[in-house]
Amino acid sequence: MGFRLKLGVSALALAVASGAAFAQDDEFWKKAAEPYQGVTLRGVTEATPPSNYVREVLAPQFEELTGIRVDIETTSWDQMYDKAIKDMESGTGIYDMIYIEQDIVYAYLARDFLTNVTQMLADNPQLKAPTFDEGAFTTFADYFKDEDGGLYGIPMEAFIKVYLYRTDLFNDPEVQAAFKEKTGHDLKPATTHAEYAEIAQFFTDWGKEHDEDLWGTTSQAHTGHPASWYEYVESIAPTFGVYNWGIDAANNYAATVEHGGRMNSPEAKEALKWFLAMRDLAPPESVQSTWTEVASTFAAGRAAQGIVYGENAAWIASDENQSRVVGNVGVALPPLEDGILAQVEGGEGYVGYYDGGAFGLPVTSKNKEAALLFLEYIGQDSVQAQWALAGSRITNTATYDDPEVQALDKELGGYFTMLRDSGKLFAGAPPYPFHAQVREAVAPIFYEILTGTIEPDAGLDQMAERAEQELTDLGYRQ
Amino acid sequence: MQSNRLGWLLLAPTLLILAMFGVFPFIYVLFVSFHQWNPFAVNPEMMFNWAANYRRVVFDAQFIASLGVTAAFVFFAVVSELVIGYALAQAFMKDFPGKAFFRTIHTLPLIMAPIIVGSVWKLMTTPSIGIIPHLLDNWFGYDLNIGQSATAAFVVTVIMDIWHWTPLVTLSLIAALVSLPPDPFEQAQIDGAGRWQIFWHITLPMIRPAILATVFIRLMDALRTVDEVLMLTGGGPGSATRYVGVHIFKEVFPRTNYGYGSAISVVVLYVTIVVCWLLYVGLIAPRNKKG
Repeated sequence: MGFRLKLGVSALALAVASGAAFAQDDEFWKKAAEPYQGVTLRGVTEATPPSNYVREVLAPQFEELTGIRVDIETTSWDQMYDKAIKDMESGTGIYDMIYIEQDIVYAYLARDFLTNVTQMLADNPQLKAPTFDEGAFTTFADYFKDEDGGLYGIPMEAFIKVYLYRTDLFNDPEVQAAFKEKTGHDLKPATTHAEYAEIAQFFTDWGKEHDEDLWGTTSQAHTGHPASWYEYVESIAPTFGVYNWGIDAANNYAATVEHGGRMNSPEAKEALKWFLAMRDLAPPESVQSTWTEVASTFAAGRAAQGIVYGENAAWIASDENQSRVVGNVGVALPPLEDGILAQVEGGEGYVGYYDGGAFGLPVTSKNKEAALLFLEYIGQDSVQAQWALAGSRITNTATYDDPEVQALDKELGGYFTMLRDSGKLFAGAPPYPFHAQVREAVAPIFYEILTGTIEPDAGLDQMAERAEQELTDLGYRQ
Repeated sequence: MQSNRLGWLLLAPTLLILAMFGVFPFIYVLFVSFHQWNPFAVNPEMMFNWAANYRRVVFDAQFIASLGVTAAFVFFAVVSELVIGYALAQAFMKDFPGKAFFRTIHTLPLIMAPIIVGSVWKLMTTPSIGIIPHLLDNWFGYDLNIGQSATAAFVVTVIMDIWHWTPLVTLSLIAALVSLPPDPFEQAQIDGAGRWQIFWHITLPMIRPAILATVFIRLMDALRTVDEVLMLTGGGPGSATRYVGVHIFKEVFPRTNYGYGSAISVVVLYVTIVVCWLLYVGLIAPRNKKG
């Protein structure tokens, strides 16, 4: 048998085998879904690119395969929580799937809102898809597990909040020469806060001098939305060495320096002043910017650099319909104070925010079995690559090796590679069941700091005291 | 006797709906307001705490401040809507080319959901992309940034409310003006009364009940404004537009402070009733007494 013939026969055999495997997989979904014909599943999630992909692609695919209809409601971040919590709190059972952002999962677990997927699959082996494997997820799935390893949410998006910069500006010889002349340094992505501030100042001045709509940095500094508070506690303060919002859970949830916390520590105050200084070098819309508008500002080419949520990296770097900086985006770790990287690599703290979420199954759902099938469906390796291309999110280890994902990674300046290799340096929100409560208690003071009504130092002192008061009222702090 | 029974039978569905969606929820809110209840606390159960929530409301600087900005918001919004609404109603009483078209256009904001109104105004007022800052900068060199200036944010929320709700006032006053009998006006003109005298001594007293009803509706609505403002400013900058509705929303939903949030709601309801009563006593009751 000649080589070509062997190759042909092998290819044919592989094709037949794969076809048979796919047919077998399809058979499982059809058979498992038989008892649930006529069921309509309802889910609620935030309107983000990954969620839109679930609604527009995965839900119809699942319906075609199984006959189970899936309605995914995509709405604003606030509305999503409002609807999900009310539904689970009152036990109405409207939703069969809810989006669980990593920072809220501890509150949901504390209230027993969620179904243990691992346990449910063990109890119902007939529902276990051969192509679904909990071990296929990246370590991000650990945020959704209890102490016994039970999984309470199928990871559907995971990002790191990265430092994006404009490669066209950073590599422009004229800009480089002007920067060198002005600062005495070579223009390169910042690794420290001082370098970042110097670059920000340079480009803001450059924009003014050249009458361009260009500023030195983005800033997520909304004066009435929690996005600004998140930017400070989750993205800026850690780079100054203040972790977990400055609250010491092991020390009776202390927040003030007086009681052993770090919310109003000198490092926290330095971080806040740096944040405010960068805000002043950012475009004017920054005081109305949440995470969404920050991405839009960067995509519009109005900022030379910025700390941007990774979920936006793909469209900023590659979608010409939405972005003016396609092909001109570089990715790096956020700027840090001296010694922070070594501290984090040594296992203490983190350099930025590991954001993401999962789809969970409320205990109040009236269609748990059918919903479990859908959750398994979106957790399979086979649906991940296209989802990653559409939403720049990766939750399964195998997705990194997909050729299309690797090609996109190059366009994104190595964002996926950073997610894989440096993801361990980032962390999600601290495991606090009182997340929204403390946030809403201290955020009004933070907004007053942003408007200049309260001085940063005094404001952080007040925030730390208010946080302790709230924790006392909630019963966490004795 | 039989007609009485039939009357109650016919009323029953309405009373049932009123009880389900009005009376029972209010009683429940009142009940919750006497409890400490945060489902994300160490103890997520409801705990009766007498009037502690009400005591806290009285000394809550944030709530008092929000009540203050709400009063200013309600005053400027409702008065402006009344004046503009009356002027438009008078304009629509006359015939002019394209009247039907303008009346339709003018009514459109009324059918928009508040959340959409907030989104549209956010787009229009965002620096760099919004048409309003662009025009103000081009025409007057004024730099509008509602994320920075408390006064600008306050004024924009008032204008947004005026834009949204003036059509309601216009429609109510058109209905009132259309129903006025022509005789008193003709007699006044024969007696040589001027336009201002006719307005002050005839039109205004005759449409006073319609004005009061409209003011009551708008006052109650404006006092519980939430969606539009939350979408536009989030209550900021700082607490410049944290009106009581926004304050209650933030206490009850994100902070899940159900007990305290309920107490604030009851207090705001009480304040609304008192303000309406004062308006009634001040403007309607003396007239009735004279009559």
